[in-house]
Amino acid sequence: MSASVPSRWLRIGVLVGAATLALAACSGSPTPGEPSSSGTTGAETTPSEATGQPTEITFSYLWSGVEAESLEKIIAEFNASQDAIVVKGVSNPDTTAQLTAMSSSEGPFDISDHFGASVGAYASKGILAPLDEFIEADGYDLSDFIPSVLDQMSYDGHYYSMPIAVHTQMLMYNNTLLAEAGLSGPPETTEEWADYIAELTKVDTDGRITQLGYGNVEIDTDFTTLGFVFGGNWYDEAGNPTPDDPGNVDGLQFYVDNVPAKYGASAVTTFQSGFGELASAQNPFYTGQLATIIEGAWEINLINQYAPDLDYGVAPLPYPSDHPELAGTTSVSSSTLFIPANSQHKQEAWEFMKYLLANDAMGEFTHATSNLPARMSLAGDPIYEDLGDAFGVWLDSLSSPNVRAMASAPAAAQYGEDRALAFEAIANQTTTPSDGLANLAETVKQYG
Amino acid sequence: MTTSPAGAALPRSLTARRLWLHQARLPLSYVAAVAVSLGFVFPFVVMLTTAFKPADEVFTLPPSLLPETWRVENFSDAFASMPFWRYLSNSLIVAGGAVLGTVLASPLVAYSLSKIAWRGRGPLTFLVLATMMLPPQVTMIPIFLIWDRLGLTGTYLPLIVPAFFGTPFFIFLMRQFFLTLPNDLLDAARIDGASEWRIYRSIMLPLAKPAVATIALFQFLWSWTDFLNPLIYLNDQDAYTLSLGLYRFFSDHGVDWGPLMAASALFTAPALVIFLIGQRYFVEGIATQGFK
Amino acid sequence: MGDAPRSAAGGSSRQRLEPPAVPAARPTTRPGQRRARRRRLRLGLAFASPWILGFGVFIVAPIALSAYYSFTDFNIFQQPAWVGTDNFTTMFRDDRFWHAAYNTVYLTVVGVPLSLFLALVIAMVLNLPIRGQPVYRAIVYLPSIVPMVVAVYVWRWLLNAQYGYVNDVLRRVGLPQPLWLDDPAWTKPAILVIGFWMVGGTSIIYLAALKNVPKELYEAATIDGAGFFAKFRHVTWPTISPITLFQVVMGVIGSLQIFAQPYLLAQKGFNSAVGGPADSMLTLGTYIFQNAFAQFRMGYASAIAWVLFLVTMAIAAVILVSSRRWVHYDD
Repeated sequence: MSASVPSRWLRIGVLVGAATLALAACSGSPTPGEPSSSGTTGAETTPSEATGQPTEITFSYLWSGVEAESLEKIIAEFNASQDAIVVKGVSNPDTTAQLTAMSSSEGPFDISDHFGASVGAYASKGILAPLDEFIEADGYDLSDFIPSVLDQMSYDGHYYSMPIAVHTQMLMYNNTLLAEAGLSGPPETTEEWADYIAELTKVDTDGRITQLGYGNVEIDTDFTTLGFVFGGNWYDEAGNPTPDDPGNVDGLQFYVDNVPAKYGASAVTTFQSGFGELASAQNPFYTGQLATIIEGAWEINLINQYAPDLDYGVAPLPYPSDHPELAGTTSVSSSTLFIPANSQHKQEAWEFMKYLLANDAMGEFTHATSNLPARMSLAGDPIYEDLGDAFGVWLDSLSSPNVRAMASAPAAAQYGEDRALAFEAIANQTTTPSDGLANLAETVKQYG
Repeated sequence: MTTSPAGAALPRSLTARRLWLHQARLPLSYVAAVAVSLGFVFPFVVMLTTAFKPADEVFTLPPSLLPETWRVENFSDAFASMPFWRYLSNSLIVAGGAVLGTVLASPLVAYSLSKIAWRGRGPLTFLVLATMMLPPQVTMIPIFLIWDRLGLTGTYLPLIVPAFFGTPFFIFLMRQFFLTLPNDLLDAARIDGASEWRIYRSIMLPLAKPAVATIALFQFLWSWTDFLNPLIYLNDQDAYTLSLGLYRFFSDHGVDWGPLMAASALFTAPALVIFLIGQRYFVEGIATQGFK
Repeated sequence: MGDAPRSAAGGSSRQRLEPPAVPAARPTTRPGQRRARRRRLRLGLAFASPWILGFGVFIVAPIALSAYYSFTDFNIFQQPAWVGTDNFTTMFRDDRFWHAAYNTVYLTVVGVPLSLFLALVIAMVLNLPIRGQPVYRAIVYLPSIVPMVVAVYVWRWLLNAQYGYVNDVLRRVGLPQPLWLDDPAWTKPAILVIGFWMVGGTSIIYLAALKNVPKELYEAATIDGAGFFAKFRHVTWPTISPITLFQVVMGVIGSLQIFAQPYLLAQKGFNSAVGGPADSMLTLGTYIFQNAFAQFRMGYASAIAWVLFLVTMAIAAVILVSSRRWVHYDD
């Protein structure tokens, strides 16, 4: 074994090593202008380059699939409309990754989206940039935004977020399945709905469910909405969590009585574990596995994409027959835009945010995704006409007196996690609604 | 040979049973080996057959094994919806860099712990061993913050640089290997006045090639399959490694089982290739070299 | 099983533990000896310097920092605020922490012995005198080098309650079909099953160890009339016990810090931080991650990490001390 063999390999190795290290130091962020490859320090925003070089900012969003495509179109329009800022859009439907990204001192994205109920939780951690100075500097007019939604955007007297779209929940039903069961038209009261569920649930000879009259597609939204439907409230006036409100118990009891108690929690869970992806042709509502669901207006767009032949209807949520004053109850939430505290280009992000929130872009985006606009002036806009009457049902629900929202409290994230555990246990019949929610009430007392 | 007080009948049946067992041993061994192999291979088979199924065949009961219509588009969809080659090259960069660091540093330290008789050797060996027991979560947060202050989160350096300082497991492996090598050549070279570095470079390393190859392969696999560290440090999706890439695919497509299995198959393929190339070192290297 | 690799180190009779010292090629006068010793000290330190440096930077400093953070309330954007033992008292009252601790210990106490047992059995099967051994060995080993993400997603599909093949097979043989990923009682077994699939690396190490058992010992035992189980108990087991010890220690350490399997198995839409049904898949590893990187409670996360560290050391020490009873080193 000659002594030159090791030294040759050594030399090659060192060269390769140097090249690798050089690659490694730069390749973490292939786009120019990314904070981690430049040396910009400090959290101060830099005004648009005077040299004429556009500033690149990153818009990381939770939307994906066809909704992301609509957003990318708007981003392209923004980029084409001016020379100062170039927006790079990144689809990342991962809230944990979003949070992790906000934990470094130099943020990988400059503007992102989330949901209205989380503003307080995020803002209280100090990870959102307050928008007040931008709003004041531009004299930005907030009066056109739906007031109840705008309230959610503030924490501790400052605005941390802006709403681009709002969502209400309606009852969607499969007309074909209803007709098969000899039913016509949506149920009006919860008692009728219970009858519908019984008529529309099918179990085969092995005890396996093949069709469910009602199934929850997203347990937190469904159960909190059911709580509202029965007159419950998940927060009190002061913003404290009130999970054991009697209305909440009634709402969850409605679900338990009509679904797992009748057909077996295990059978229901098995059935649900086989559901396909929601944003695909295998959505259980499109395939006829679920006859009625509680969902938002974005379904119009998704059904057009994935199940254009589906014969469905939309109606206000049922109300308990002994509480007709609860008719038209719905829960409202919003999709919001925010600027993370660790963004290096807050001013540019704000410019882009204004563009997104303007009537044109907001109209285009909410039309493409069949979301409800956050601006009141867009409510009757003809742009939504081709979405059909269904969109009108959701739109009208916004003016109901019984629109309920989940408060944007600092403990909202914690409350959400604990709620998820409680809801699961209740849905699996591990505990009863009243016990489960009572336990939850004990747990929430520990929130700071 | 056992005899029974009961007479001739019992020994004969006992012998017969023993004879049957002895004769059946070989086919039974094959049955056992094949059964075990089937158990281990089955998930791969399912992954591949599901990867070729269209959605309506995936969501049917009872589950069928083979697809009726073979849908190749799942693979092209997977390719189209993510930058596979970029993820692959990112993984290669990270793994390659870490391998380089390991190969340079770990044998060096192991040499100190095995071939140089110095006072601190015992305590240091103990320290290296003790470090193997450290849960990464203890140091994870401060190390993240250090890299953050340096502004290097989002790059590959946090994933590669630690290897250049030696990894306890590989140091230990190399040490065990070095210990089995005789010192005669070393002593002779020392008497001749050769520097320790020269001895290390020209005598020890060439002799240790199999062990070095082994730790290189292990480090490669470690980096290749690492999930936690890229998750913490890599925020830009273009910089994702394969593990994060598949994780992102799931975030995007969820329980779209056909394309998900196709993407999984794509991500397994490089590991398979590496295995076939380095098979010699994998199956024999770890087993025998570490023992000698 | 766990994220730590397997090692081939062990107590083979052919391994020497103490190398002979470098012979004194210099005059044995005391100043000469001292000089030689100092020279060797310098050399030893020089060669070990990468690790010593790394030890300081990546181990000592972070451990000290982490200990400091565990007594603070630390949100990465603000300065750490000293809160004394608050984090630990919170931890004591935190249900989720105890849940995570229970899950982690369960996975370790149940998973490690079962995996080793399975690995040994498979090694013995692979040790049978049949043709085509490399193929069987390769098949058994391959899953352990597959990226964990791939393994988890494939098993998510296999264990799907409605369409999964595992439940289909169970149904065909008339066994009950658990809701692997939805029933809190079965999620940890699901994690273990994935670990069992990846036991190939350990198996190969055991296989090598089995091949290293001197044949004379078996022959002597046969002459003494020993049957299969007796041979195992008196020949095989003692000889491979050093490897078992090493595998147990590494397995326990790896299992206590398990992260990828539970994190990925519990992954849901939008990947909001979850711990699986009824938190049944929440482990200390994932709980620390969530607290640090999703909840920005780095102080609390550091406190939990320290508890994990101490528990790991304690358990490792117990195993090592107890090993004197059951591990046989060759004399």
